[in-house]
Order: sequence, then structure tokens, then C-alpha cells
Amino acid sequence: MHELSIVSGLVESVLDFVAARSIKKVLGLRLCVGELTHLETEQLRFCYTAMTEQTAIHGSTLEVETVPAEVNCAHCSYQGPPKYWDEALASAPVATLQCPRCGLTAEATRGHECEIKTIKYVT
Amino acid sequence: MIPTIQASPEETYDIELEQSLLQANAKLAAENRAQLDHHGVTAIDFMGAIGSGKTTLITRLVEKFKDQLNLAVFNGDATTVDDVNLIASQGVPTVQLATVNGCHLDANLVGKALLKTDLKKVDLILIENIGNLICPAEFPLGSRARVVVVSVTEGPYMVKKHPHMFLGADLVVINKTDLAEVMGVKVADLARDAHTLKPDLKVVPTSCKTGAGLDEVAAALLAVTKSGVHA
Repeated sequence: MHELSIVSGLVESVLDFVAARSIKKVLGLRLCVGELTHLETEQLRFCYTAMTEQTAIHGSTLEVETVPAEVNCAHCSYQGPPKYWDEALASAPVATLQCPRCGLTAEATRGHECEIKTIKYVT
Repeated sequence: MIPTIQASPEETYDIELEQSLLQANAKLAAENRAQLDHHGVTAIDFMGAIGSGKTTLITRLVEKFKDQLNLAVFNGDATTVDDVNLIASQGVPTVQLATVNGCHLDANLVGKALLKTDLKKVDLILIENIGNLICPAEFPLGSRARVVVVSVTEGPYMVKKHPHMFLGADLVVINKTDLAEVMGVKVADLARDAHTLKPDLKVVPTSCKTGAGLDEVAAALLAVTKSGVHA
């Protein structure tokens, strides 16, 4: 349940943001979460609701947007979406670091992010 | 008359923040790494499920390295001290990292353990992460290499079920190979799955019981350590 540590950092920084300004109410946050992270949207939302109770940002919404993965291959210069593992028996496609063009190991250039993108509030 | 625009008393703002939530840990990890590099110390992080054999593997590696390197071991453990006591009995400086309810080590805890370690007297630090194949992936510690330990007793699907852990690994140890046959698990299948995720991943099958593969793991980690010393 590492979502809890992520959300606790999130709530802390939003509360700091609010404390430093004259903000009446925070309406919502938009989060960008990379495909290569191990973060579940539902769990992030659940933790957010639980952790914001009885705080100044209680009642605000958390929107989570998934950032698709992208890889870069140093061997054949491929840049783009990763190769997905179809036989992984997973409910969602599993991104790999196998280069879709040459099959050697590529590097992920996108998909590891977890960022607060925007904050919406009333002054 | 000078035109005046006055903000209405209640106004809604939607502003960009672009603030990374993993950044705080990543920054501390980079600081740990800089501190380690400054002293020519290499840290290696061992991750894997509960019961995969992380502690036993570390005790075997301590036996192998003890006479040629100055070691320290950090033991991440939610509550118990059995593991750290076992390692300490080998005469190696140890630090227990008790996460209490935490499911992973983070760079902050490791930074605190570094403060309790005389880095001038250490070449290699082996860090045992919390038994968990999911959460630690998101939290780099500042180590030079990340080892994932998976054992055949966990069944044939461990790699498939935890892809993110393997995507971030530098070395995969497939442990307890002496039990592969009785478990009906093919070591080659686990290795193939790891290579499907990351073709150049180094995979070493081991048995801490028979000693098979341990020299190869030691050699791989020694190569990483040497590269650190001369960096």
C-alpha cells in the first residue's frame, strides 16, 4: 500500500500550498501518473479521501490521468511506445523494456511520473 | 477616468503546479548516492517477497566477501529483529531499519542509517529491503544496483505478476533451485519471463542450500563494487 506514502506527500504539499495563500476552498487536483509506476488510481483516490478528512482540503476531488509509457532504444534509435507483453495473463497490457523494433533492451523515457498537474481552488 | 479591473471577491483558479510526488525520495536517494560515491562506498539493494531468501543470500554473500571487503548490512524489517541479529552474529556492522507499518524502505531511512555508519571504514553496504515485490520499486535508495530475489517456491508466475519490480532490476536471483523439481517450477521459464521484460537483465539461478550459483552472484556484485571504488 505505497499509495498511502504517495498520498500523504500529496496532501502535505497541498496543505502547504493552501496555508501560504488566502484560499477559501480547494475544489480539486489533477494528478498525472505514469503507466510504469505501480500506482492504482482507485487506491490513490481512496487514500486521498481518507487522508483529507478533517483537513482544510476536505471534500476536494482527485482526478488521475495516466501517462502512457515511451521508450528509447540506444541500439536502433527507436523512439515511441513500448512493446507490450500479450501472454502475461494480465488484465491490462504489460509494458516491457524490449525494443519493439530490434528486441534489445530499451530505456523508458516516459511512464515513471507521478505529479500534481493542476490545482483548482476558490479565493 | 482610469479603468479598474477588480477581482470579484470569489474567484476560481485552475493553475498548473507540475509538482512531482516521487521527487522528494528521488532527491534524497541522489544525496545518499553522492555521499556513498564521495567515500568510494557501493550500496546494493536486495528486494523480493517475504521468504524468497534475501536474508540467507546476504549471509552467504557476507561469508564470501568478509575477508576481502569491509562490509556493512542494513536490514529493513517491519517489526522483527531476527534477520539483523543473524547478520550481526557474522561480525559485520549492521543497522536495523524498522519501518513498523511501512511496506518499503525509502531514501530517508537509508540516509539515517548512513549517518550511523562509519563510511571511511566500509567498501560495500548490502541493504535488505522489506519483503514485498511491489512497493519498493517506486522508491530508489541511492544504491548502485538493485537485486531482485525470487524463489521457485513462490510458484511459476512471480515475474509475470510483478513486472515493474523486474523492469527496475539490475540483477535477478532465482533462488531455491534445489526445490525446483519438487515444486514443478521451471527455472528457465522464470528466466525467460525476466528476459521478456528486459532482454539484457542478468539472471542467476542459485541455491543458498547447496551453494550453486553463489559465486556468480558474488562476482557480479563484486564487479559493481569495483566500478564504484574506481569511479
